[in-house]
Amino acid sequence: MRFSSFTYLVGQGLHNLKANRLMTLASMGVLTVCMLLIGAAFLLGANIDAMVAYIGDQNQTIVYMDLGASEEQLAAADAAIRSTAGVVEVSYVSPQEVLDRYADMLKDYTNLREAFEDDNPFNPNYVVVVDDPNHISDIAAQLRTIGGVEDVVAPVEMSRLFVTLQTAINYACYGIVAVLALVSMVVINNTIKITVFNRRKEINIMKLVGATNGFIRFPFFVEGVTSGLVSAALASGIICGAYYALTRWYEENPTNISQLFGGTLVPLQDVWYYLVIGFAALGFVLCGIGTATSIRKHLKV
Amino acid sequence: MIDFEHVSKTYETHNSENVALEDISLHIDEGEFVWVLGHSGAGKSTFIKLMQMEERATGGTITINGQNLNKIKRKKVPFLRREMGVVFQDFRLIPTMTVYENVAFAMRVTNISTKHIKSRVPFALSLVGLEDKMDRLPDELSGGEQQRVAVARALVHGPKFIIADEPTGNLDPEMSMDIMQLFEAINKVGITVVVVTHEHQLVHKLAAKYHNRIITLAHGLVKSDTADPLVAEEYAQLAAERGYEDEEFV
Repeated sequence: MRFSSFTYLVGQGLHNLKANRLMTLASMGVLTVCMLLIGAAFLLGANIDAMVAYIGDQNQTIVYMDLGASEEQLAAADAAIRSTAGVVEVSYVSPQEVLDRYADMLKDYTNLREAFEDDNPFNPNYVVVVDDPNHISDIAAQLRTIGGVEDVVAPVEMSRLFVTLQTAINYACYGIVAVLALVSMVVINNTIKITVFNRRKEINIMKLVGATNGFIRFPFFVEGVTSGLVSAALASGIICGAYYALTRWYEENPTNISQLFGGTLVPLQDVWYYLVIGFAALGFVLCGIGTATSIRKHLKV
Repeated sequence: MIDFEHVSKTYETHNSENVALEDISLHIDEGEFVWVLGHSGAGKSTFIKLMQMEERATGGTITINGQNLNKIKRKKVPFLRREMGVVFQDFRLIPTMTVYENVAFAMRVTNISTKHIKSRVPFALSLVGLEDKMDRLPDELSGGEQQRVAVARALVHGPKFIIADEPTGNLDPEMSMDIMQLFEAINKVGITVVVVTHEHQLVHKLAAKYHNRIITLAHGLVKSDTADPLVAEEYAQLAAERGYEDEEFV
């Protein structure tokens, strides 16, 4: 294709956008709304996911050592725990620290420190954080085999519940996004079909003076892609702005419940590129491909 | 230039068959001016559609500029269409484009440079006497003027032949005469012209003046051909056998 033909066809596409401005506005409006719904579902999913993960992370596994474990035993166990796959954080709590903690808690009633000064009943223990709550029971089993370990208390049931919950929420959100994408595909396809139907005579004339299918399709493609990308930009702007405002508001207005889930939403800088790239891809694919395919019927002359 | 050899076309609907053209054989030479006359239903439209490849023949062979239309791939059809100029009864101008753009469009599709288009389009419009209405939209012109634009569009890319399908069907008699004479002028510069119409009075007047060939279609057959008197005898025989009534032009 000649460059002058290319610029002509791009110009025609943009000209058509203006010439059919009502239809253009309608389809861009519909597409933007669909994108906003999809974006909202995505953000909701991402946040619930993050909240569940946060709560999951709060559950620590505690490794209790034998009561009279020697310094050497403790050192060996410390090394063994740290080298266990999946363990990301280990902190040692000595019997004295445990005693201090309880003593502080009950200081208004009794003096535990004095009572147990020479006979500390608490086991030395390690607080272990694992990387994936999914693996908590496996890791707990491994930790039990380490020499000098008396018991391992892991929130296996709790973590199982959270993992199930997280998976369910993920699926639900993916489902919502997929359904909305499908709905917008149908709506957009219909809008494009109307546009093409309105111009079927024009297409027929073009065919009869010897235009190739590509030549006819190109301006429609330009038109579709432009309105798709404009909708994507619009939707990105709206949703990013709104979400930023929401995150600010959420942090500035803490409640008991919000504190329970970590007190913050997923920050905008962690998700904006998913939204922008997703919208752009959606706009490009839906409108570009949709246009190209919906005029196929009219090209058979 | 244009060759029909035993061409037939049958339209099939789900429960019946409609024979539009039956065993048509004719040859049109380069530089000829041919009138194709016929009542509605005689097969005129089908004749045009076959040449434009809007429809494909169900039997026989059509050859245009040495290309066998039966063997042309779908992808090559646009390129065949660029070798001809077509004028329609309903003008078929794009309403959202100016006169200039409508004419230029026929060149744009052939991938010609904008520079060349800029010089050719005003020339083509001046040939039909519309160079001062280039920026108008089709709706702002009279029927005769719109048809002239269509003629300019058919001419602009320098086709080897022009086909006109009832070009005066939507025009008053005076304008019809103008348009038909425009075709005669086009033929004078060596372009083959095929005009399909039912306006036999106009045709006979012009044909006598310019010594044009007239082909008459009836019942999907060639009824007469001024270039081949034998055809009329063959048709008369067949018509008698089948009991075709001889329809007079009204």
